[in-house]
Amino acid sequence: MTAVVLLESDLLRRALLEAVLVGALCGLVGVHVVLRRLPFFTLALSHAALPGVVLASLAGVSLFLGSLASSLVLVAAVATLGSARRLDTSTATGVALAGAFALGVLLQSAQPGSSRDLTAFLVGSIVTVERADVLLTAVVGVAVAAVLAALHKELVLGAFDRDHAAALGYRPLVLDIVVLAMVALTVATSIRAVGTILVVALLVTPPLAARLWVDRVVPMMAVGAGVGALSGVIGMTASAEWRVAAGGAIALAATAALVASAVAVAIPRQAGRRQTSAGPGAVLSQ
Amino acid sequence: MAFADPSDPSDPSGPLALHVDGISVRYGRHPAVENVTLELSQGSAMALIGPNGAGKSTLLRAVLGLVPLAGGSVSVLGHLAAEARPQVAYVPQADALDPQFPVSALQVVLMGRYRRVGWIRRPGRSDREAAVAALGRVGLDDRAGLRFGALSAGQRQRVLLARAIAQGSRLLLLDEPFNGVDATTSNLVVEVLSELRAEGAAVLMSTHDLSVAHLTCGEACLLNRRQVAVGPIDATLTPDLLAAAYGPQAVALAGGATVVTTS
Amino acid sequence: MRGFLLDPFRFGYMQRALIEVVLLGVLAGTCSVYVLLRRSAFASDVLTHTIFPGVVLAFLVGQPLFLGALVFGLLSAVVLSVATRALGADDDVVLGVMLGSFFSVGVVIVSRTTGYANDLTALLFGRVLAVDRAEIVVTAVVTMTVVGTLALLHKELVLRAFDPVGVEALGYRPVLLDLALNVMVALVVVAAVKAVGTVLVIALLITPAAAARMVCQRLGPMFAVSCAVAVVCGWLGLAVSYDVSINHGVRAASGASIVVVLTAAFVLLAALGAAARALAARSSPPVTTPA
Repeated sequence: MTAVVLLESDLLRRALLEAVLVGALCGLVGVHVVLRRLPFFTLALSHAALPGVVLASLAGVSLFLGSLASSLVLVAAVATLGSARRLDTSTATGVALAGAFALGVLLQSAQPGSSRDLTAFLVGSIVTVERADVLLTAVVGVAVAAVLAALHKELVLGAFDRDHAAALGYRPLVLDIVVLAMVALTVATSIRAVGTILVVALLVTPPLAARLWVDRVVPMMAVGAGVGALSGVIGMTASAEWRVAAGGAIALAATAALVASAVAVAIPRQAGRRQTSAGPGAVLSQ
Repeated sequence: MAFADPSDPSDPSGPLALHVDGISVRYGRHPAVENVTLELSQGSAMALIGPNGAGKSTLLRAVLGLVPLAGGSVSVLGHLAAEARPQVAYVPQADALDPQFPVSALQVVLMGRYRRVGWIRRPGRSDREAAVAALGRVGLDDRAGLRFGALSAGQRQRVLLARAIAQGSRLLLLDEPFNGVDATTSNLVVEVLSELRAEGAAVLMSTHDLSVAHLTCGEACLLNRRQVAVGPIDATLTPDLLAAAYGPQAVALAGGATVVTTS
Repeated sequence: MRGFLLDPFRFGYMQRALIEVVLLGVLAGTCSVYVLLRRSAFASDVLTHTIFPGVVLAFLVGQPLFLGALVFGLLSAVVLSVATRALGADDDVVLGVMLGSFFSVGVVIVSRTTGYANDLTALLFGRVLAVDRAEIVVTAVVTMTVVGTLALLHKELVLRAFDPVGVEALGYRPVLLDLALNVMVALVVVAAVKAVGTVLVIALLITPAAAARMVCQRLGPMFAVSCAVAVVCGWLGLAVSYDVSINHGVRAASGASIVVVLTAAFVLLAALGAAARALAARSSPPVTTPA
């Protein structure tokens, strides 16, 4: 019944499609975020998008490009701070995150009627997506997936054994930048749907759920994308049914998927443990 | 790019597998390695010996091009190190790698072939066969499908050696390969290294296990930031020179043997 | 210049804001040093977002927001300390999941209630100019509690940050020390919510110590510089936002202004520190070892 309601309205149909696309893209790219320990950096990327978005809207330019541009500035800033070696990466990221975001808030607060926009930036407003936005999401999604597929083995190598990658003649820094660029593109695309803070949830939770089921990178990406897309559907449905914020519902659906996976995977293992000693290659019992 | 003909491994007229000429490495303002020179012929093995912090790992990383040189030069098989990368294989210590990472042993070994495979393409059948064969040589072909982190420490070390074998390089650099590994692994590694030498590869290995060094290597380089000695192993690992390198850690025993304490 | 720095504070509401900001400066300046030493910038950031549902629930049941923030702050600190320890290597990922789950719960609950938009904005971004006497008293109490506790645990916290293995070997339990710091961070967040909001409070927890680190090598000076930076930037931030809003007609949110000034101070000190080190390096040759 609610599913039918979702599919009947043009607006909600678009929102549902956007939710599925964003969910799948985040679930896919999120595998790299998890493997390379990038959740905090991703949070910084999403916060740093704000000044770019504000400036872009002031200049009448595409918001997507604005958020990308300021994300790139953030990457440069953190790289510079990190290379100075006085601060560890997480502290440098924190300084950049807070500074960039405050700048954005300041710029935005100078405009009238700004608080609603700021809040929408933080928590998402998927029901305001236009057809052009969905198209952009689809295009970005395909492009990012293509890049990740083409460079798959090199990116995994760089994540697993940086020194070996360098010894083989690759430039680990270049590989890092490629991944960060893909994450920045994903974040810029997904902020509209789930907002700054919850985009990190969507990038981290589905891959983590996938990791409980599978033990290799490619399957992790497939299951992650699937869980992400499913979270999009369930979240949108819940949002329409119970009239709650879509962004929050989608993120919460992903968390529920993680919890369900943890439980589902733990039960047979507990039962098995009572019969025999722990089997080989168990994922969580290391 | 042509490399020396492997059919005559002990050909003295072939280019040196490795020529390190007066290299120095500095971290910030502090020297880690000062003015080290050594030569390694194809088919030979040299042990890099020295106390902790002596710069053994740094020297290996410098040869690999992972750290910038503050002076001197490195050449591999007659070419600049940067151009000869495919010919240099690195076997690091396995504990630096994340045991939870979702890759199988076979996938790790395949990583050694990536340069041959090239960008964008996937490893092909010949690559897989080479990887499986390499795993077979280290006695792990039945574990190819297991996750890398699910293997024991010694098995992981062997996988990294297999990765270097799969790369098909003429020069192998090993960083403390016998650290914390079981007896099976030790024996296997010694055996495999001597096979590789017979096939014409050169080996540079850092270790602080003197008996293993004697077992596997014909030459040694004693290092304590500066080069204390280099040459045939029996002439280099003498009590006097070991005392010079290790200082108070070297203990001379009655009967002329020297023992080095690890502290 | 003096007018710029003192004029705004003729007004009662500005004076109260200033007192609040100075107290927070001392609080943040102290706590951020421990956060820096422990490298727990992300954990602290997650804590700032996990108190959000607590605040929402407090509002819904008509309790003071401070209480909701406190309960959830403590709850989060406990869950965080336990979860990161239990799942070991994947800290960052666990933190990401906590961030997502707690914050999305808050968002979902908020979206069900109408007429909450204004309060939500105040919570997220702060409203320091509306601080009243009672809130100042609360901030003062929190400041004394946190600074006092940190002073008492100083050497253990430093040891834990520096040598996680050694501290356990000596018989301490790292989990409890982490919990203590996380609880202190939660209290800072609760106190600072009013001034800068949950979204910007992370700046107070990280930037002052980071700025101090760029010019100090030792702990003692670091605490002093960190507190000084936090207090001065709080003052300046208020003055700037007042000046810009009143004298130039451009609305400038106070909380955001403080954070921007703080970040600028960081950049300034980073540049100064780098310049000082470059000069020092040029005047002395590289270290050589005796033969």
